Amino acid sequence: MTKINKVMKATTQPAVRTAVEKLNPDTAKEPINVLIVGVGGQGVIMVSKVLAQICQNLGYQVKQSEVHGMAKRGGVVFSHVRFGQNVWSPTIPMGKADVLIALEWAEGLRWMNYLRPDTGIFIADTKRIVPPFACRSRILGADIGYSKNTPSDVREKVAEAFAIDATEMATKAGNERAANTLLLGALSTTLSFPDDEWKNVIGKMVPPKTIEVNLAVFDKGQVWINRSRKGEPVEGGAFVPLVQPEINSVRTELSITPEWCKGCDICVKMCPERCLVLNKDQVAELAEPEKCTGCHICEWLCPDFAISLKPIHQEAVA
Amino acid sequence: MNEQATLKSKEDMTQDDIRNFEIRDYLRLDLFPHFMCPGCGHGIALRALLWAIHAQGIDKDKLAIVSGIGCSGRVGTYIDANTYHTTHGRPLAFATGLKMARPDLHVVVITGDGDCLAIGGNHLIHAARRNLDITCLMLNNEIYGMTGGQVSPTTPADRFTTTTPAGNMEPVFDACRLAEAAGAGYVGREVTIHLPRLRDIIAEGLAYKGFSFIEVMSDCTEVNGRKNDLGSSPEMVLGQTRAMRPSEYDNNVVDHPFRPNSMNTGVLVRSNRPEYGTSYRNMVDKVQALQQKGQK
Amino acid sequence: MTVQQNVAQATPTINLPTINLQGNHACALGAVAAGCRFYAGYPITPSSEVAERLAKELPKVGGVFLQMEDEIASIAATLGASMGGVKAMTATSGPGFSLKQENLGYGMKAEIPCVVVNVMRGGPSTGMPTRPAQGDLMQARWGTHGDHPVVALTPGSVEEIYQQTARAFALSEKLRIPVIVLFDESLGHLEETITLPDVTEYENTIRKWATGKPEDYKPYKADADGVPPMARPGDGYRVHTTGLIVAEGGFPTQKADVVAPVMKRLLDKIEINNDLVESFEDIDCQDAEVVVVALGIVGRSAKKAVRELRQQGIKAGLFRPITLWPFPTKSFRALTKKAKYFVVAEMNAGQLILEIGAAKVDKQSVSGLNRYDGEPISPSLIKQAVKEVLGHE
Ligand code: SF4
Ligand code: SF4
Repeated sequence: MTKINKVMKATTQPAVRTAVEKLNPDTAKEPINVLIVGVGGQGVIMVSKVLAQICQNLGYQVKQSEVHGMAKRGGVVFSHVRFGQNVWSPTIPMGKADVLIALEWAEGLRWMNYLRPDTGIFIADTKRIVPPFACRSRILGADIGYSKNTPSDVREKVAEAFAIDATEMATKAGNERAANTLLLGALSTTLSFPDDEWKNVIGKMVPPKTIEVNLAVFDKGQVWINRSRKGEPVEGGAFVPLVQPEINSVRTELSITPEWCKGCDICVKMCPERCLVLNKDQVAELAEPEKCTGCHICEWLCPDFAISLKPIHQEAVA
Repeated sequence: MNEQATLKSKEDMTQDDIRNFEIRDYLRLDLFPHFMCPGCGHGIALRALLWAIHAQGIDKDKLAIVSGIGCSGRVGTYIDANTYHTTHGRPLAFATGLKMARPDLHVVVITGDGDCLAIGGNHLIHAARRNLDITCLMLNNEIYGMTGGQVSPTTPADRFTTTTPAGNMEPVFDACRLAEAAGAGYVGREVTIHLPRLRDIIAEGLAYKGFSFIEVMSDCTEVNGRKNDLGSSPEMVLGQTRAMRPSEYDNNVVDHPFRPNSMNTGVLVRSNRPEYGTSYRNMVDKVQALQQKGQK
Repeated sequence: MTVQQNVAQATPTINLPTINLQGNHACALGAVAAGCRFYAGYPITPSSEVAERLAKELPKVGGVFLQMEDEIASIAATLGASMGGVKAMTATSGPGFSLKQENLGYGMKAEIPCVVVNVMRGGPSTGMPTRPAQGDLMQARWGTHGDHPVVALTPGSVEEIYQQTARAFALSEKLRIPVIVLFDESLGHLEETITLPDVTEYENTIRKWATGKPEDYKPYKADADGVPPMARPGDGYRVHTTGLIVAEGGFPTQKADVVAPVMKRLLDKIEINNDLVESFEDIDCQDAEVVVVALGIVGRSAKKAVRELRQQGIKAGLFRPITLWPFPTKSFRALTKKAKYFVVAEMNAGQLILEIGAAKVDKQSVSGLNRYDGEPISPSLIKQAVKEVLGHE
């Protein structure tokens, strides 16, 4: 696993809102939408179950629909939770989520367009889970394939954004797996539900041995949001974005040996940027060179060695 | 000539060893395009092998590729090294002789599922038992491709082949478990789409002192794919990832695409059993020392 | 008596050791003396003593002994070692020899030197493993597939086993071909007091290695002797060795005009070198009316029979091929011009007789004296057979 530099002081100072209104299903005209996303195995479902249970306990209608990304560990998992006086559709339309809880940073970024552009609240664990090879960063020389968006980039796109190093904080508190409870604590600051109800439900959902630590991190989550809303320094703040090494500036040049190509279509279909096509002779061709990131996937998977990528060094280009 | 070939451990391999790889340096370019069908996974496997060889810095002059008969057997032809295209099922036996006679060579066997598990099965288990320093790459495409698509010891159940017109009823071999049970010191398995992982598994196998067995799950797009509607070439390659479960590299336990819950990928065995060639040469040294004593 | 051996004339010198030796052990020692440094085999009666002796001898000289998992693996490993540049050998008996045939064909085609010893026993199948026979003469010639030349030697005594095994290495190195050594169980297990012949010249015979620039080297471009120099792995030539028919450059081809000369060279290379290969023993053939043809252990009985027949005034002679394949047809014809009858004595149902039938020029009568009951052919049986064809008694 690649190291990610972290600083332990808050660097993300979200825009301070003057009056923080909590989302209240009693007063809201429409159902309240909370989208929870993450990677398989992180506990997305647990978070959404807690929320749904509270809503039920408090007498609201609630619909929760979850999708496990092909049921694979490490795959995408997301859950839509909608609650209010009357809820009809189980899924949240794009641009209508009031709160987005991301248990994994890149997943959070990926779902950001589901948030309400004007009032959406983004709460994300800065934990990074690097996906397997096929999804990695394809820029030559990139150390890991991962989103380069930093918390400050995010802040510009949503009304309110919180990047919490929840996993780190939970680990310090004694249980890494309690990170999702910490995020529940953060979530609780945005909703009008009483704290007792949260703690009651969490206590029933988590393994008995971990109740204490879970309740402790729930508080931490609340405190973290409240303090950072006031602009006060917080523990386990956002991270310094990964500085890409020099080599990333290397560009590549792709060449195809047409006599060797058998037109199997692998490169065309496997290119993540879709820049290759088969021409009328059924030979691969680089149709959109400007889109090519030099990721090498086509070169690697061409069974006929017809594609080769050569780095063009910066000096040579300049 | 008698000093043994040594290679880098995984930790010693630098990024540069891996990066500055130009496959054409390792190919017999005048033989191209190669004879394999469009989309054949063997080409990807060959890239992984050559890349691993490059990463290990192996001198082409000191590299001996021994292959058998079948599509896998022809793969070695394209490598610019000392290549031996031997008889059906016997490359491991040829390689055993070659490695014992020339411990300074890096001996790599390229074989297939039929070559290695059917006609050559006996040689596999005994090569594994002996644990002689050979790297055996078994390209498993689950079919006899060169002879037109007959059932092989790894053809999954219900597959249609020219000799199982009603679907295959025979159970399959798990080659890695077979090799492990027979004593192979290093066993790994990977699909071709995970090329960097495959490369690393092979590179470690090359460096391993003993018998390293690596099963490459390769696609036969023509006779296997078409007859069984496994999709186009890219679909078959992608099919490998779809059922993969990502996890940490070294101890990843991933279901096999075609046989859920029965096959794992990654490095499956690393042991430190004695390497046969070394043991043999130690014995020779002892015998010769005794002899000299006797003569004095 | 003339014994023609052109690779090296074996000249026993005073200093050479005189010892008691079994045929199979003589085979093992002859191999080591000729520079054999690799043996791979599989136990089979009656050849196992060859392996057992080599298991002791090879480590002493830094060589490799391997007991492989089966007969096929044994010859494969032997060829593999030879590809690496080491003189290599395997030994077996009839059924094992059958198993080796495919790879033997590979060795012939890919032109890989090695020695394959077959200590013949009664057959077919498991037959009589501990009884002698000469049932594999034709298997040695035609056992493997396709068209190819064969060199097979048939020593007739323990001393000759030592010498001919050593010579087999020299021939195989020189001609780049697997050479077969055939003798039967009774010779393999016969213990004799012998003087070890000097085989230094055989030991010094090694194959032609490729020299010169790798770019100019063509793996199957032969010299005038029909034999291409071989590239040793590690020397920078990086060639392709295959059982497929290849062009001179070493890569497969199916073009008739390329294949024809390539095959022709392969088929002709032994004939070009006939002077090296040919060897036989002839006793009084020139003026003989009846020529007995026999090889291996039967040659010994025949020798006695012929001497005794001469004493009785019968013009008998003996032709004993030492190089069985290719059969020394020309010399045989030249030597037996006066013969009216051939008696072919062999411990099988009639194999060598086919070759004599093909080799004779005139309308001489050819009769066989065959035994396949696991018992050797005695001199008196041969004498009787000769007298029969002459119409005596
Ligand atoms: S063309 Fe090849 S290198 Fe470029 S983006 Fe597509 S797959 Fe990657
Ligand atoms: S992967 Fe290779 S052979 Fe297949 S279409 Fe692309 S360039 Fe051609």
